[in-house]
Amino acid sequence: MNSTVVSFFSQFEFFNDAVKSLSETLGFNTYAAVSLLVFLVAATVLTIVCATIGGLGTYAERKISADIQARVGPNRVGPYGLLQPLADALKLLTKEDIFPANADKFMFYLAPFLCVLGVFTTLAVLPVSSGLTLTHLNVGVFYIIAVSSLVGVGVFLGGYASNSKWSMLGGMRGASQIISYEVPITISIIAIVVLSGGMSFEKIVSSQGGLPHQWFIFHNPFTFIGFFIFFVSGLAETNRAPFDLPEAESELVSGYHTEYTGMRFALFALAEYVEIFVLCAVASTLFLGGYQLPLPETIVSKMPAAAVQLWQTVIFFIKALALYYVVIWVRWTLPRIRVDRLMSICWKVLTPFAIFNLIGVSIWMVVFKGESLLKIIFH
Amino acid sequence: MFIWVLFLISALLILGTSVAALVTKNIMHSCIYLLGTLLGISGLYITLNADFVAVTQIMVYVGGIVILMLFAVMLTGGKEFVSKGQQLLGLAPLMGSKSTYVFGLFGALVFGGIFAKLISYIVKLPIDSTEQKIQSTVESIGKLLITDHVLAFELSSVLLLGALVGSAIIARPRRES
Amino acid sequence: MIPYIAYLGISAFLFIIGLAIMMSRKNIVAILLGIEFILNAAALNFVTYSKYSAHNLDGHIFALFIIVIAAAEAAVGLAIVIRYFQLKETVHIDEASELRN
Repeated sequence: MNSTVVSFFSQFEFFNDAVKSLSETLGFNTYAAVSLLVFLVAATVLTIVCATIGGLGTYAERKISADIQARVGPNRVGPYGLLQPLADALKLLTKEDIFPANADKFMFYLAPFLCVLGVFTTLAVLPVSSGLTLTHLNVGVFYIIAVSSLVGVGVFLGGYASNSKWSMLGGMRGASQIISYEVPITISIIAIVVLSGGMSFEKIVSSQGGLPHQWFIFHNPFTFIGFFIFFVSGLAETNRAPFDLPEAESELVSGYHTEYTGMRFALFALAEYVEIFVLCAVASTLFLGGYQLPLPETIVSKMPAAAVQLWQTVIFFIKALALYYVVIWVRWTLPRIRVDRLMSICWKVLTPFAIFNLIGVSIWMVVFKGESLLKIIFH
Repeated sequence: MFIWVLFLISALLILGTSVAALVTKNIMHSCIYLLGTLLGISGLYITLNADFVAVTQIMVYVGGIVILMLFAVMLTGGKEFVSKGQQLLGLAPLMGSKSTYVFGLFGALVFGGIFAKLISYIVKLPIDSTEQKIQSTVESIGKLLITDHVLAFELSSVLLLGALVGSAIIARPRRES
Repeated sequence: MIPYIAYLGISAFLFIIGLAIMMSRKNIVAILLGIEFILNAAALNFVTYSKYSAHNLDGHIFALFIIVIAAAEAAVGLAIVIRYFQLKETVHIDEASELRN
């Protein structure tokens, strides 16, 4: 097993001591068992944290939209309405589980789980910090793109199996949108992979710096455009406004999850909000320096390891949540675009620009040996 | 240990879902079982140290082919699937008389013999039983693709372009003349 | 170490399942689905031998090309199926007996 958390802990004295004493008392080598335990605990903690962020995302969405529209928003449950997501979850749990007549039972029950599966498996490579990540997979970015395409299948199945016109239209729109917008996302990620020379998040982060002028977004003009291509395509990939055509309330009732009630609906919503968080985290890792501390290398190397990890985690969450705010802000600012425009934006604007970026970055790598623009100007 | 667990899970997933894909009568369900099989195969690739192939498998099949198939099933009328006389036990060809089956049995025996002979050669291949460490294959695959296999790589890009243009032309709506 | 015969067995099983699906179904989409099983069985064999017998990555490259070809085949095949359905309003393979129209 090739886990970053385990190898991070195994460099400390106390971990090795604990394993040694446990092995002596139990009479066999417990290293594998202890690492599995550490890994499971870390995975559970990360899952719970991300699910909480997803739950609080609904609260943040309502609160920020209220702020933008000069309203108050939820303020009854708990201080500032902070316990609202908990109340919502309780309400959804106690709702009746309705199964539409003539719907396909197997696919209807499978669809929300496919969505949740696709989103939560991406957490395995989410680079929270250099040590506390579950694993720095060698194909990290590629893995995230690949696994998150399961969401498309879930959305389509949810729409098809509901046996309802609105759901059907929403599911079709969702699936076609998700597989179309994967193209510009992948190409703009390949540009970053070319720059950093590896697909693992560790490599991508370590080839950037902590300060803004060392980030990939300001590396050269092409990556600057690439960030916006990635972010806009990501909004479409996660079905967010202004690309929320699969769940357009005014025309499709609620799209692919119209017929879902109770916990199954909650699973769809949870998957959506966690996916937005993953998108923001990936965007901040690829373009905004990831978990790197904005301090010179000499200061960071003198700090204790635990403090470095803690601050890296904080920096990571600050960047990701700032982008999360932008996503919500965009939703309550821009109107929804038309469905034919959606596809033409993808294929006629974003994809050509992404290919242009990829070629530009490749030429930049050859001509300037991968130096950033600011470095070339100021040296 | 971990590899064994992953192997067992993937193998069971493959066996279960592929049989289910064969026996189910609804082609939509068949596509979903295909999805399970593909995920299982990508798990097997991971146990074979083929991380890049595993992720490519998930990306291309799950993100592309399965959704395409679901779309095609939906656009071509979805549910009516089992045609006349085509049940699971109707797998045996219905045509022919006693002599067909006799010849078929004889042919099957001959081909089975040849197949068993081939298998016996394959089983005798030298197999290295030393455990290899899990290492990344991404860099070496990239180098191989642009050195040894560069012709196939370029040809596959032409093939994909042809497929893209061809399928767009075939499926485009035409005016009734 | 997992015995390589296990992988070969799974691969053969998948091949047979794919063949059975291709033979027993009359829906063109289902036949394409059977082809996917068969292609996957072949790719699994290539990767298995790449690890156990050849000790290089050529099998992985073959598997990648098989995936590429499967993608191209699925795109063109399903486009043909949809076009055929527009013309004949059926996807039964026995109805596809004419080359014209």
